[in-house]
Amino acid sequence: MWHTRTTRLLLAPGLAVLALAFLYPVAAALLAPSPDADGGLAGRLGALAADDHIWRATARTVRIAALTTGLCLLLGLPLGRLIARSPARRQALLLALALFPLLLSTVVRTYAWLVILGRTGLMSTVLTGLGLSDRPTQLLYTETAVVIGLTQLFTPLVVVTSYGAFSQVHPDLEAAARGLGASAGAAFRRIVLPLALPGILVGATLVFAGAVTAFTTPLLLGGARTPTLATLLYTYAGVSVDWRSAGAVALVMTGVVLAAAALAARASAKAVPS
Amino acid sequence: MSGRHPLLTGIALVALAFLLGPILPVIGIALTAGDTIEFPPRGLSPRWFAEAVAHEPFLAALRTSVLLAAAGTALALLLGLPVALALTRSGARLRAGVGTLFTLPVIVPELVLGYALFQTLMVDLRVDAFGALLAGHTVLLLPYAVRVTGAALARADPSLEEAARGLGATGWTTFTRVTLPVARPGIVAAAVLSVVTSFNNVPLSLLLNGPGTTTLPVEMLHHVEFAFDPLVAAACTLLLALAVAVTLVTERLAGFTHVFGRQEATRWNR
Repeated sequence: MWHTRTTRLLLAPGLAVLALAFLYPVAAALLAPSPDADGGLAGRLGALAADDHIWRATARTVRIAALTTGLCLLLGLPLGRLIARSPARRQALLLALALFPLLLSTVVRTYAWLVILGRTGLMSTVLTGLGLSDRPTQLLYTETAVVIGLTQLFTPLVVVTSYGAFSQVHPDLEAAARGLGASAGAAFRRIVLPLALPGILVGATLVFAGAVTAFTTPLLLGGARTPTLATLLYTYAGVSVDWRSAGAVALVMTGVVLAAAALAARASAKAVPS
Repeated sequence: MSGRHPLLTGIALVALAFLLGPILPVIGIALTAGDTIEFPPRGLSPRWFAEAVAHEPFLAALRTSVLLAAAGTALALLLGLPVALALTRSGARLRAGVGTLFTLPVIVPELVLGYALFQTLMVDLRVDAFGALLAGHTVLLLPYAVRVTGAALARADPSLEEAARGLGATGWTTFTRVTLPVARPGIVAAAVLSVVTSFNNVPLSLLLNGPGTTTLPVEMLHHVEFAFDPLVAAACTLLLALAVAVTLVTERLAGFTHVFGRQEATRWNR
């Protein structure tokens, strides 16, 4: 154990930067009661109560995030499990392939969907070419497009967390359950899934929080007709310079993310009876 | 292998195709000889690549992004490594309290942090855009620096340092000759992760721009908003090539899945 003086010296610079460039600005922007340009906390809460846009955007954002989380689990869990049960060499390759998209900027990955879903895009060409549709289809600028884009963006998070969770469940446990007469499905449901649940919940929380705060995808694929909390915050702060409303949206967005994290932590604590 | 379900394996393979497939049409668009994004592309030509690498707004933004990623990563490591060191060597209570404090920047939405920095630093304190960007990116990368280098330090045997001290090494010598080499894999992993995170970031950088100071992803985003031409497709394809290069280099340096396969590191891209 070290002298407390050394510990303090080591912590001081990091803490100072954290306080000045994070804690103070965020606290000031969200909670400051001072009567500044946006009317302080009271002004923000007033804007919240008065602004229907914010509530509609909140409902839409939560809906999109919930759908995205469900789809990411649907696609990511089987892939995570497949990787966890593959032989070591193939495991590394599959994991690298699943994680590779995370190296690309969201702009690159969302742009790909513009190319596919646009009026003259790949999907439209294929559908009209097959005779399935007689005019160019437009999926862009709908909630569906946003959910598709976000699902592709965040599925790797479920893959990597569930791969970790499934790898930690010892294969002998499942084999024992099978040996005692459980079907493959029952062994998975009653043995593997409960043990992997905390890891899966971590992945689900990351996806939900990511989808609530995602900006690029709803901006490009949702457009002006389907504002989410993130694009609304950008509109208020960057375009119309309405700080009262921007502060209100920031407050709601932070609240939704913190609530989701708290819920997941409780579910996780329940899943693992200590 | 018992209980492998063909339906689940099928879904897993569909998921993999869904993750990687959509990037491919972008390459096709980048190679078009035409002026618009359409399928099939009208003829093949490298013209959009030539235009992308000569597009001055992209080049200026690339310079900003590279400088920001390098400086932000260096600062985050410089501040974060001492914190990680202090936390691994101190009691559980300090570790829980201060450790939680250093994870906060990944919990608060980046867009909210960007908005807060815009208000406090740029409007109230008149810091220029690059200063605000650097402050924001440093804070965003700090959690990775603390946790990833901390994980490497926690795995190290503390008796190594005691042995060095016992053999007469000074505190500084012990740090440079024993502690730093032990933490090296963690430092490399944190650095790669930080550079990628900073270079790709949109939400935090979005509001923090000024005359001549915009990051590359934000500049590309604004271009896509207003022009539907293949210029961004070409830029995306170049960035895709860069990502492949980063993958290969990371694999050589530290192991790709070792760096990018960590749970605590997975919040990094939005």
